[in-house]
Amino acid sequence: MRECVVFKGSRHGLQLVIDSSVDFDVILTHLRSKLESAIDFFTEGAKIKAPATLTDRQLQDLSSLLEGFGLRFETEETLPPVVPTAQAEWEEADSGQELVVSRTIRGGQEIIYSGAVVVNGDVNPGGEVIAGGNVTINGTCRGIVHAGAYGDKNATITAKRLLAAQIRIAGLIARAPDNLALPEQAEMAYIEAGKVIIAPARLN
Amino acid sequence: MGEVIVVTSGKGGVGKTTTTANLGTGFALQGKKVVLVDADIGLRNLDVVMGLENRIVYDLVDVTEGNCRLKQALIRDKRFENLYLLPAAQTRDKNAVNPEQMKQLTAELVQEFDIVLIDCPAGIEQGFKNAIAGADRAIIVTTPEVSAVRDADRIIGLLESAGKHDPQLIVNRIRPHMVKKGDMMDIDDINEILAIKLLGIIPEDEYIVVSTNRGEPAVSNPVSLAGEAYKNIVRRLLGEEVPLMTLKEEDGFFHRLKKLFKL
Repeated sequence: MRECVVFKGSRHGLQLVIDSSVDFDVILTHLRSKLESAIDFFTEGAKIKAPATLTDRQLQDLSSLLEGFGLRFETEETLPPVVPTAQAEWEEADSGQELVVSRTIRGGQEIIYSGAVVVNGDVNPGGEVIAGGNVTINGTCRGIVHAGAYGDKNATITAKRLLAAQIRIAGLIARAPDNLALPEQAEMAYIEAGKVIIAPARLN
Repeated sequence: MGEVIVVTSGKGGVGKTTTTANLGTGFALQGKKVVLVDADIGLRNLDVVMGLENRIVYDLVDVTEGNCRLKQALIRDKRFENLYLLPAAQTRDKNAVNPEQMKQLTAELVQEFDIVLIDCPAGIEQGFKNAIAGADRAIIVTTPEVSAVRDADRIIGLLESAGKHDPQLIVNRIRPHMVKKGDMMDIDDINEILAIKLLGIIPEDEYIVVSTNRGEPAVSNPVSLAGEAYKNIVRRLLGEEVPLMTLKEEDGFFHRLKKLFKL
């Protein structure tokens, strides 16, 4: 799917890039869903610059939307509007898609994927798995695992033996206790009431 | 056509050079034609461990730079006819050679020798990339310490991404009494993390220090336990089925007496 709303990072903050050929209401809906899905990604108070081609009415709508998410809004005056071209097209993986890795993730190796990740092997100390969706490890997990990296608080981490030094879900980070006992069964980590909970799970 | 084997570890000081010297000598004892290549340019050591330091005229960098022919740089061992050493340069650094040159060099050596054994420098920089460039297979050396095992894991990952799969493992400097007390990682702990084929375990042996200082690899000494373990590894590398040594702590005179009489 071609993105009609794209955030581009620059030294001065985030630049909002809007496809001018798309209806403005469509853009607003897209922007809203984008912000909702990734609110953790944007730090509060981040400066957002918008293209100068918009009308005053449109700008007002935009700024009220952005401010609702705690983002500061600035009108862009100097830069010409950037229209996403075919080359700059940005494919975002479906949340239903998953990446299956059938090997051991060793120290120094990292897997970064926008959807869910399934590792058929171990994640060794120093190895990292960063996924937009859930992470399932059919083996021992001793490295760092980050599920819901783009802010999905419903993401889970499941491992046959969850011995991770650290697990991260969305914006939350949980550290393992200093004396970690060997788990006897598969465990799953998830967020409940703002805390990372680890509970027995079933791997299939 | 022979085979190129690289001995590597990641962490320094775990016994790569000792292992290279002993495996090389072990292969020579088995009648193979062997060349040991010291890829640790700048910090050469293999020549000292082999007791061949005073015979060096040309080195690996001289060969790659065309200052001499390969044959001129090869040093024949003083004990074994079919064992040779290609020393590293002492005065240069690891950037004096590139992986392409190493590939060429090993390709040339492998025509002549049954076994080309490369002693890899510690670390994961240029020197490591050089050392593994021409290797057919890799032997990872680790000690039963968390830091060494971590680095070994990292090395296995790097070898994989360089297209070199199925490395084999040697666990060096095992102290049975510490393992028994639970103060030292045991083989299962290490296997759990690295999950690669175990080639052998080498017990801690004071004689290794003696042999290294004398420039006589322990493998040629019949009383050294470590030498015995290296001998077994050589046989495994040559395809023989040799069971792993059972490392019992020395539990007193009586036990040994019982063992002597097979009670």
